[in-house]
Amino acid sequence: MMKPRVAIFDFAGCEGCQLQIVNLEDELLSLLDVVDVVEWREGISEKSPEFDIALVEGAITRPQDVRRLEQIRARAKVLVALGACASHGGVNKLRQRLDLAAAKRIVYGDAASEPFLRSGPVQAIDEVVSVDVRIEGCPIDRQEFKNIMRTLVLGGEPHLPNFPVCVECKRAGNVCRYERGEICLGPVTRGGCGARCPSFGMWCFGCRGSVDEPNIHAARAVMERYGRTVQELEERLALFGSR
Amino acid sequence: MRVIKVEETEIASWTRTLLAEQRVVAVQERDERFVFDELRQAEDLRLDHDVTLQPPLRYLLPEKEELVAFDMAGRYQPAESDERPFVLLGLHPYDVAAIRQMDAVFAQGVPDPHYSHRRALATMVACDVETPSSNVFAGTMGTAVVREGYDVLLTRIGRDYLVESRTGKGDGLLALFGDDVQEASPVDLRRREAVWQRNRQGLRQHELDCPPDALPRLLALGYNDELWQERSELCLSCGSCNLVCPTCYCFDVQDVVNLDMKSGKRLRLCDSCMLQDFAKVAGGHQFRLRRDRYRHRFYRKGLYMPERFGFVACVGCGRCIDSCVAGVANPVDVYNALLQRHPEAVEEPLEGESVASLGKALEALLGRSAGEVPTPVVVHPQATAVKPRREEPDPWLAMPRQEPATLERELEQLVAKDPYVPERATIVEKRAVTQHETFYRLRLDSGRSLGHQSGQFVQISLMGIGEAPISVSSGPTDEPDFEMVVRRVGNVTEALERLEPGAKVGVRGPYGTSFPMTELRGKDILVVAGGIGIVPVRSAIQEVLRHRSDYGRLTIAYGMRAPQDRLFGAEIAAWLDEPGVNILETVDHLEGLWHGRVGPVTTLLPNCGIEVGRTAALVCGPPVMYRYVLSDLVAMGMLESDIYVSLERKMKCGIGKCGHCQINGTYVCQDGPVFTYAQVRNLPEALQ
Repeated sequence: MMKPRVAIFDFAGCEGCQLQIVNLEDELLSLLDVVDVVEWREGISEKSPEFDIALVEGAITRPQDVRRLEQIRARAKVLVALGACASHGGVNKLRQRLDLAAAKRIVYGDAASEPFLRSGPVQAIDEVVSVDVRIEGCPIDRQEFKNIMRTLVLGGEPHLPNFPVCVECKRAGNVCRYERGEICLGPVTRGGCGARCPSFGMWCFGCRGSVDEPNIHAARAVMERYGRTVQELEERLALFGSR
Repeated sequence: MRVIKVEETEIASWTRTLLAEQRVVAVQERDERFVFDELRQAEDLRLDHDVTLQPPLRYLLPEKEELVAFDMAGRYQPAESDERPFVLLGLHPYDVAAIRQMDAVFAQGVPDPHYSHRRALATMVACDVETPSSNVFAGTMGTAVVREGYDVLLTRIGRDYLVESRTGKGDGLLALFGDDVQEASPVDLRRREAVWQRNRQGLRQHELDCPPDALPRLLALGYNDELWQERSELCLSCGSCNLVCPTCYCFDVQDVVNLDMKSGKRLRLCDSCMLQDFAKVAGGHQFRLRRDRYRHRFYRKGLYMPERFGFVACVGCGRCIDSCVAGVANPVDVYNALLQRHPEAVEEPLEGESVASLGKALEALLGRSAGEVPTPVVVHPQATAVKPRREEPDPWLAMPRQEPATLERELEQLVAKDPYVPERATIVEKRAVTQHETFYRLRLDSGRSLGHQSGQFVQISLMGIGEAPISVSSGPTDEPDFEMVVRRVGNVTEALERLEPGAKVGVRGPYGTSFPMTELRGKDILVVAGGIGIVPVRSAIQEVLRHRSDYGRLTIAYGMRAPQDRLFGAEIAAWLDEPGVNILETVDHLEGLWHGRVGPVTTLLPNCGIEVGRTAALVCGPPVMYRYVLSDLVAMGMLESDIYVSLERKMKCGIGKCGHCQINGTYVCQDGPVFTYAQVRNLPEALQ
C-alpha cells in the first residue's frame, strides 16, 4: 500500500494545533510509519507539488491567503481544516466585531496603513474553498487527531461527533458548571474533546463550534432559569466565532 | 438471612478488613457531591450520601469498554478481561432496584456476557437512605426500600448499624465482623422498620399523582399530546438525563485502530437516545426528531419497558432532574401533567380491558378501526391493571431469581460464545450491479452454512471501520455461501466496496425474524418491493422458486426510482420463465430506456390479479413506500396477519441491547426486521 502523502499549512493562528501534532512525540513516529509528510513548514524543510491530504491550520485574513488556499485546494485530494481557526475563524473572528481600520490602529498604531499589512475580513477556510474534513478544537485534541488520521489512511470518512460536550462531561462524572453558578457552553458545543475544560474546573468555552442543530431557544431559556442574560451567552459564543 | 447489630466504628474497621481482601468500589465525597469510586482508605467511605452523580451501573456497564479485539487480517477475538471480584458498597435501595432491572435487560434474548460477567463478580452492599437528596422520589415509585437484590444491607439506627445478609456472599461479608457480634433484637428490627417507614414516606420530593402501574395506560392515551412538542422545545438534546440514569443502558459501538494500523479494538460507549444522531441511519434518514426523542425517553421508562419486562423503568433517584439545566427532565412533572390532560388513565378499566387497552388506545390515536387481530404487544398483566394505591409496590420483585450456581455455569458457556465476536468470512465474488449497488457472495471461513431464513440479516464487520446490518439476499441453503447486495451509503459499505475477492470481513448472525416461508406453503405469494427493498425479498423469491410446487402463484410488484436502478434484471427474466409467476414493474421517473409503467409501486396493486383470500404479501421498501403499500393492501381486503413487512433502522448490537433500532417499544433487530402488519399497526413510529 502506498503511504498517503500529507502536507501541513498554516494561516492566521497561533500554530498551537501544529504544536499538538509535534507533541505527539513517540506517537508521531508511529504515524510517520503510515503516512509520508511531504511539506510542513514547522516540521521539515521539503516542499512538494502534490499530496493526498492537506492539513490547513489558521483563518484566512488577507487577499494573498485566499490565493494560496485555492492553490492548496487544487493540489490536495482531501482538505482537512485543522482546529478552530480553520474551521470557524476562531478567536480571529473577534476582530470582525470592530471596524477594520480601528482594529488595525489598535494593533499596529502608525504602521497600520503599510501595504504589507493589508487585511480583509476573517474567514474560516470553508468560506473560501470546499473542505472535506474538520478537526475541531482550540487546540485540536491529539487523540481525536490520531483517530481521524487513521480513518483517512484506511480510506474512511471521519465522523464529526454530533453530540454536545455534556455527554462526555456526564461520562466523566463531573459536577455541572451551572450548579456552580457559571455559564457553560457545553450543552450546545460539539463534543469529542472529552469535556476537557469542565473536567479541569472551567466552563466550556465553545471552541469546537456548535452541534449540528443547537436548540438556541432552549439555551436562552436556560439563561433565564439561572438568572443570567442572553447577552452574556452571546458574548461567550462570540469568543470562538461560533456560527 | 441474618441480621447483626454493630457500632458505627465497627463499620470502618470492617471496611478496612474488606479493603485488605478485595477491590472495593464505594461512595465517597468529591467536589461537595458524592460518587462511586475505587476506595483507597476506609475513612473515605460515606454512608450518609444523598445521591451519587453517576449511578453504580457504571461499574457493571462502564461508560467505555472493549468488546472485541481484532487484527487487520480479519481475526476477531473476545476482549481480554482482567477484572477481579469487587464489592459495590453504599448502594441506595433505588439503585439496587435499578440493577435488578438491568439484570433482566441484559439476560433477555441473547444474554450479554460482558455485563453478566461483571455482575457475577460484584458483591452488592446496600444501605438505606440516611439523607434524602433534593430530587429523590423513590417513595412514590416504590423503590425507597428494597428487600431483595443485594447481598448485604446496612441500616443506620441511632448510633448503630444493622447489617443484614441476604445471600451466601453476604454471609461471607458478615463473617468479617468476627464471631463476637450481637444479633439484632426484635426491638432493633422494629427500629429498622421505622427507618423504612420513614423513607417510604419521606423520599418523595416529587409525588406521582397515579400509581406507577398506571403509567403504561396513561402513556398509551397520551402519545399524540401537545405536551411532547411544548416541553421538547426547551430540551437541549444534550443527553445528560440518560447518562446519569441508572436504568438507561443504550450504547454505541465504535472501532478504534491501534497506532500500528495492524490491530485494533471494538468499543462500546454509553449512548443517549436524546442525541440527534441516535436513530439516524447511514444515508442520513433521521427517524426521530427532537420531539420524538424527548417523548421516547418517557415512553421507554413508563410504557416500553413495562411491556417487555413488566417493570416501570424509573426508580425515582432524581438524577435526571439534578442534571437537566433546562429543567424539562423530571418524569413526575411530565407524567402528572399528562395525567391532568388524560384523567381517564386512572379510572377503573372495564372488565377484561386492561391488557388490550394499550393496543386499543394506540389504534385510536392512529385513527384506524379496531382490527380483528388482537394487539401483539405482550403486556405484563400488572402493568396496565389499575389497583388501589399501595404503600409499597415492588414492581421489580416479580422477576425470577437465579441461583448463583446456575448463573456461573451459564456464564462459562456465555464467555465461550461471545455474541459480539464476528466470525471470519471471505469475499468469493463481487460485481457492480448498478451505479450505487454491488453484489457480493461471501463464504464463512469455518465452512459452515450461515443457516439463515429468508428475511434475516447479518452484521458485516470491517476491521477498524465498524459494523453494518446487511440483509441476506440469497435463499436458505446448506451451502457455505450466501449473497448480499449492498448500497454504498456509509463508511462500512464504502469500505466494503474497496475490497476485492479474497478479502476478509467479519460476520455476525444471522439475526432477526424471517418471512415464515414454511407456514406460507400452499398460499399464493405477492412480493411488493420498492427500490433496494427487492434485496431481502429476493431470498423469499428464491425459496418459493426452489420449492415451486409448495406454493401457489407468485406475483412480484417491483417499483424503482429509475430504470438504471433496476436490480437482478437477468434473474427477473428467468423468474418469468417459471410457471405461475407474474412480474409487474414500474419506475418513478422516466429516464433512459424504459417501455414499462411509470408511477409509484402502489399503482401496480389494483390490477395485479391476486386473489386476496389465498395470498400472503411480503413487503419491503423505504418508509414512504411501505406506509402506502400497507394501507392499500388492507384496503384491498387482505388480512393484516397475511401482510409481512421488513423494516430497516439503525442497528449497533443486533441482539436487542443497544437500543438504536427501537420503533416505539419494539427492537427491529430482535422482534423484526420482518413484522406482520398486525404488529406494526400499533407502532406509530413505523407508520407516521
